[in-house]
Amino acid sequence: MRTLRSVGSWFMPVVPESRVAVLRTVLYLFVIVDIHLFVRDPIPLSRHPELYQPLMIERLFHLPPPSVPLTITLYLILMIGCLLAAANVLPRLAGGVVAAAFTWWTAIGMSYGKVDHDHLALVVALWVLPTVGVIADRWRSVERSAQAGWALKCIQISVIFTYFLSALTKIRSGGWSITSWPESSILMWAIVRRPHGLGQFLLPYPELVHLMQWLSFTAELTAVVVLWLRGRALLAAAVFWMGFHVFTFAILYIHFAPTAICWLAFAPLERLGPWLRRVKASRAQRAGRRSAGHTVPVVRDHAIDSGG
Amino acid sequence: MIKLPLQRQGLCCNQPVGQRVRGISKTSYAWRIAASVLGIGLLLNGSLRMSDDVWPFGPLSQYAFSPPKDTTIVITRIEGLLADGRRIDLPLRVETAEISRAEIEARIPQITADPSLLRSVVDGWSSRHRGEPPLIRVWLVQDQTRLVDGRVGPTRLVELTAWEPPS
Repeated sequence: MRTLRSVGSWFMPVVPESRVAVLRTVLYLFVIVDIHLFVRDPIPLSRHPELYQPLMIERLFHLPPPSVPLTITLYLILMIGCLLAAANVLPRLAGGVVAAAFTWWTAIGMSYGKVDHDHLALVVALWVLPTVGVIADRWRSVERSAQAGWALKCIQISVIFTYFLSALTKIRSGGWSITSWPESSILMWAIVRRPHGLGQFLLPYPELVHLMQWLSFTAELTAVVVLWLRGRALLAAAVFWMGFHVFTFAILYIHFAPTAICWLAFAPLERLGPWLRRVKASRAQRAGRRSAGHTVPVVRDHAIDSGG
Repeated sequence: MIKLPLQRQGLCCNQPVGQRVRGISKTSYAWRIAASVLGIGLLLNGSLRMSDDVWPFGPLSQYAFSPPKDTTIVITRIEGLLADGRRIDLPLRVETAEISRAEIEARIPQITADPSLLRSVVDGWSSRHRGEPPLIRVWLVQDQTRLVDGRVGPTRLVELTAWEPPS
């Protein structure tokens, strides 16, 4: 019973709801960026029904094949839904609609032969964020809840599993061998196929490339540890993985932006609201003092009664 | 309403004075635990046993295979012959051809069996380059680069199929 309880409290820590309110704003605005920059092809792809190969999820729910009116409708629903949900307005309804529409939109993008894997955490985030429901006072909320903790924990697990499961897939595809992927020529293969990034400079050094493969594979396989880190150790892990994404972008032009943004589920975002209010207040105060136009008495270097 | 274990012990999470904790019902608690376990189970099952078809629960298989040190690396391209005699590379990007290279690569067997599937690229390119002469022939080609003991070796060009758009 005690174990069960501790498992429960691990999945559902009590955290400030304002953290979820801020994360909603960031992620729903990110979805708008995503449908324009990353999964941006559903509308043009829907003009080519001959190339459509529905995924299991589309067959299971008997979703109609994509057409231009359908994809444009999804696009409009996503734009309106994201703006509402980003403002924490109608969080369950708008959030639920965005979750379903974005899942469908992304599934369409993946139904023409190529399936990407950088959207796992974002799709999970969109499904769990509405479950927290209405957050009174939104960014200013002073309430804490296990509901908020569960949503954040799900996003954290999805981020970390994006790395961990990719290591498992590498072991599986190498015939259940730990060494086959890190010892393979995969990074050389990727650099030759994407000859635009800084990876060109690595081509003469296959040994260095192998070392990088070992490093990234080890990091992915052990990523689960991050779920138990706190404080500076967690910050160090986040910095490491952000560096990893910057590095893969530099050498291969492969970004994992939808995963990287979900790292914010680990951050103490509840501090953002009060910080912004402090900055705003001190600016207003300075502006007020300037417009008042009177001199402030000064003793040595410090203004008297400056309120700051 | 139930209290969380740490709340019961009065130890919960450095709770500042004045912050309220929202209650959670037993049902809410139970379905969340069940959903977490189910989700993790589906993800593990997808990675260990399934294919891309079960997205978003499929294996994270991008760059997850293990090419040997003497593998051949192919870059698939589409070249087009314009009516004025120029032979050009048709960039396979969504903005220029409405379809990306990966999507063409995933369809190579279908395209070689029925080259008229290249119509989507021709139409996509033509609709975005109305000032250019029409395409009278397109080729599906590959640059094939050999690795020799893990190092980059020679590259050769291979034509897989060709198609002439009806005028």
